[in-house]
Amino acid sequence: MTKRKMKWFGMAMTGVLAFSLSACGGGGSTANNASDGGGTTDSGTAAGTTEPAAENITITFQNIYPDASDPKNQMMKKIVDQYEKDNPNVTIELDSLNTDQQKLKLKTQAASKEVPDITVVNPAAQMQPFVDADLFAPLNDMVEENGLKDTFQSGILDYYTFDNNLYALPDGNNIGVVFYNKKLMEQGGVEVPTTFEEMIEAIKTLKSKGIQPMVLGEKDTWTGSFLFMNILLRTNGGPGFLQDVLDGKKTFEDPAYVDAITAFQQLVDAGAFQDGATSFDYNAGENLFKTGTAAMYYMGSWATGGIETAEVSKDGNVGVFQFPTVNGKGNPDEFMLAPGSAFAISKDSKHLEETKAFLNYFMLNFPKEAFEAKGAVGIAQNVDGDFKAAGYSEMAMNVLDLFKKVQGGDLAFDNTMNPAVTQVHLSGTQSLFVEKKDPAAVAKELQTAYEENK
Amino acid sequence: MNVLKVSRWTIAAFILPCLIVYVGLVFIPILVSLYSGLLDWNGIGQSTFVGLDNYVKMFTRDAVFWPAVRRTFTLAGFSMLVQVPIALLVAVLITRFVRRPNFLVSSYFLPVILSVAIIGQLWKTIYNPASMGGMINQILTSVGLESWTHSWLTEPKIAIYAIILVSLWQYLGYHILIQFTGIQNIPSEIYEAAKIDGADGFKADRYITLPMVLPILKISIVLSFIGSLQSFDLIMVMTGGGPAHATEVLASHMYNMSFLTMQYGYGSAIANVLITICLIATVLINLLFNRLEKRYS
Amino acid sequence: MSQFASSAGSKPALKILGRRFSFKTAIAFVLFGILLLTQLYPLVWLLIYSLKTNEEILSGSFFALPAEWQWSNYQGAIEGGNYLRYLGNSLFVTATTMAGVILLASLAAFAIARFRWKYGQLVMLLFLLGMMIPMQGTLLPLMIIFKNLHILNTHLALILPYMAFQMPIAVFILSGFLRSIPHEIEESAIMDGAGPFRIFRSVILPVSIPPMMTVCILTFINVWNEYILAATFISSEKLKTLPFGVYSFVSQYSVNYGAIGAFLVLAALPVILVYFLLAEKITKGMVAGAVKG
Repeated sequence: MTKRKMKWFGMAMTGVLAFSLSACGGGGSTANNASDGGGTTDSGTAAGTTEPAAENITITFQNIYPDASDPKNQMMKKIVDQYEKDNPNVTIELDSLNTDQQKLKLKTQAASKEVPDITVVNPAAQMQPFVDADLFAPLNDMVEENGLKDTFQSGILDYYTFDNNLYALPDGNNIGVVFYNKKLMEQGGVEVPTTFEEMIEAIKTLKSKGIQPMVLGEKDTWTGSFLFMNILLRTNGGPGFLQDVLDGKKTFEDPAYVDAITAFQQLVDAGAFQDGATSFDYNAGENLFKTGTAAMYYMGSWATGGIETAEVSKDGNVGVFQFPTVNGKGNPDEFMLAPGSAFAISKDSKHLEETKAFLNYFMLNFPKEAFEAKGAVGIAQNVDGDFKAAGYSEMAMNVLDLFKKVQGGDLAFDNTMNPAVTQVHLSGTQSLFVEKKDPAAVAKELQTAYEENK
Repeated sequence: MNVLKVSRWTIAAFILPCLIVYVGLVFIPILVSLYSGLLDWNGIGQSTFVGLDNYVKMFTRDAVFWPAVRRTFTLAGFSMLVQVPIALLVAVLITRFVRRPNFLVSSYFLPVILSVAIIGQLWKTIYNPASMGGMINQILTSVGLESWTHSWLTEPKIAIYAIILVSLWQYLGYHILIQFTGIQNIPSEIYEAAKIDGADGFKADRYITLPMVLPILKISIVLSFIGSLQSFDLIMVMTGGGPAHATEVLASHMYNMSFLTMQYGYGSAIANVLITICLIATVLINLLFNRLEKRYS
Repeated sequence: MSQFASSAGSKPALKILGRRFSFKTAIAFVLFGILLLTQLYPLVWLLIYSLKTNEEILSGSFFALPAEWQWSNYQGAIEGGNYLRYLGNSLFVTATTMAGVILLASLAAFAIARFRWKYGQLVMLLFLLGMMIPMQGTLLPLMIIFKNLHILNTHLALILPYMAFQMPIAVFILSGFLRSIPHEIEESAIMDGAGPFRIFRSVILPVSIPPMMTVCILTFINVWNEYILAATFISSEKLKTLPFGVYSFVSQYSVNYGAIGAFLVLAALPVILVYFLLAEKITKGMVAGAVKG
């Protein structure tokens, strides 16, 4: 095809697209001025819902609470409704997605600088690329307003701060714990283990009595990694292993990492996990524990709410314990730390000030509403109120007690390392579930990937 | 020879609307992807032009790539050499034995129209361990073949075949439909003439149906090849490419690289390889069938 | 034209032959039966699944029926999943896409198959290339294009790419069909002094109904279940489509499997209905369309 024709093609194409646009996109309510504000567009097709023109604005609130039966979803809707009532000119458009889809969507939107007014990011290394691309508005001034900053637990905001600029406000702050089914443990005749060695023995005993010792939804890979990292936190004798790797002080071939792999293999060899663990997604794995089919379950404290309301928790049947020492190393009061997903505001938001005002309101009301919805275990803000009196279960109280013991710990792998290295670590850990591998070889593979993707 | 002689403006009026939508939304993105394949880019921030580095890395250092290629071709191979022939056989049998074939053909087609979300959920349940309600393992256990039970989706050597089976099952009806309509289209006079010459039943199939149905068979094979190469949603739903990449195919590898590990440039390079393989294979299949058709006609 | 109608019919000669070999017939019908069972099974399974409780689904035996039929799952699905709104959006997007594909593709197919011009095959080749392209590979470029066209978060952002991706197969089927029509059909129209547009409208369109049905069905199937583009380009709750509803039940930390099942049934219902209503036509269309491919 000749150049001239190509040019002609291009022109004609623009014409047709423009035509079809006016044909299809017309009939909408508002001719939104330059409607490229990501989700901010008040779109065409639906009938006129908007009230008088002037300063009516729509804020798009991308979130990961899509399930209407989930307390978080109800909480969010309640706060949003109240805000819309108080500010009749503001419409909050909820774009509720599941986690995976939200991640994909945000990445696609970020590539074309189309970030919605409010979106959801994960802490530290996971949000670094977005911050580097200068997509988010700093919230330093906003968080000072109405004393919002003081509602957050001390130190938590650091995970969302880059070069002294705060870019996101977290909804959660969790730790890794082991839930256990008291009835099944009793049936198996095992005690709560205080060392990893005891844990292995307990697993073998449970297994021999036909009780499923542990469950895990390893299709999602971060689940096994979270447990693995807790073992590493022990074999390393304390936190900071990944940071040492980043600083060039250690490599993945360090004995601490190799020992962690060996210990993890002991778990697998002892038959700790259910058959086919790698095809269970997170929910399916957790549901096995919730339906009372497994004795122990290692997970972040965010699972508390779900387990609490499940069948298995009747009569205070579920307890929690700290992950034990491994090979006599480590301090059980150091936990896997999981600062939660967090709300960030697009730098290019058409209504930056209004969006900030809304998010400020939202976060201020978050702890109170969460407390009432019995979802306040593991949120990132301080809660005034007597949990016991409010009817929180004994298990929830135990989890809260564990929070008080925290003397530091490590972040999940993907919050410390870049995505490419993380992917190698995740699939390396997943492979431990299904085949016998030389720990040194697994470690070496990761080290190679790390050097390649530094 | 076509009889309608028209001005180039008329041609433009007929062909351009379609071509513009198509070129603008399918072709231009692919050109962009060709270019992205030359970048070191996480999809968000600054990009660096790295020439063919992505391809060099893919062919020489990516431990996942070649096994994924092998699995992709295994899937395509099963689809072309097992699924399509079975579909042809079923289509021949339907034409021969069934008086009102439409209900049957339509029913066989049903899995094609169901969302992969449903298909994936169903087969995951079928493959589950017996203790969790897995049908296959429950049946094996109940007939005393306990040693044959497997964790079908999580044993690295088996998992990909478990997925291939689902894929073959899902699209069988699609190919039955195509073959069936192809056979329907063979004029019945030919069979009648052959019958007079003493060829009927399966003999007629061998000497009439098979050669006559070749063009349709070609379409079926090309579609099954392209479909196999692009299939990835089933894998994402069932295993997510795991355990440890054991069920990773080219399309899922591309998706993971582009969107999970944020190596968008690298992911684009994989996409480009995928498209190239499709192109080459289509040309080869065409050549092969042209030869076959010549030999038979 | 009558040739096509007859070609879709059955072959009586063969039928009679088949009758005689009752043993072979029996084997064939056993095979048909097994296939029917395996291919229809998912629907039955899904129906049962949708009426179970979470616990039954996760721990129950595979063949077990629900202890109590949980019709409330359907209520939950309709209320919690915004079923009717999503259904409306899905119908609108799918119908518009189908209409657009049919119109544009048949125009193009007509030009490729019946006009006397040099580049027909070249254009055809260009369309065939499109069949090789994986949709998810175009996600990011499409986002940028739609941003510049200012149509993100409108139904157009779905309809346009859906149309574009259906174009190759549609042009392929329609032009294949048109090539098989004898030329006399438009020769007589030319004698009457009809121009190409009138020939298209009053001669070609009416006879192309069967392959159009095929194109419709294929488009419907592909568009109805599409999720990735829909979730990426649409943000407003009031514009979202059905597959989105399915996934909206799957939240971060909790799941209601029975309601998902119910929603899946409800989401699959329209496509199954449409398919079985048009099943006869699609077979005919395929016959007509694919023959000269």
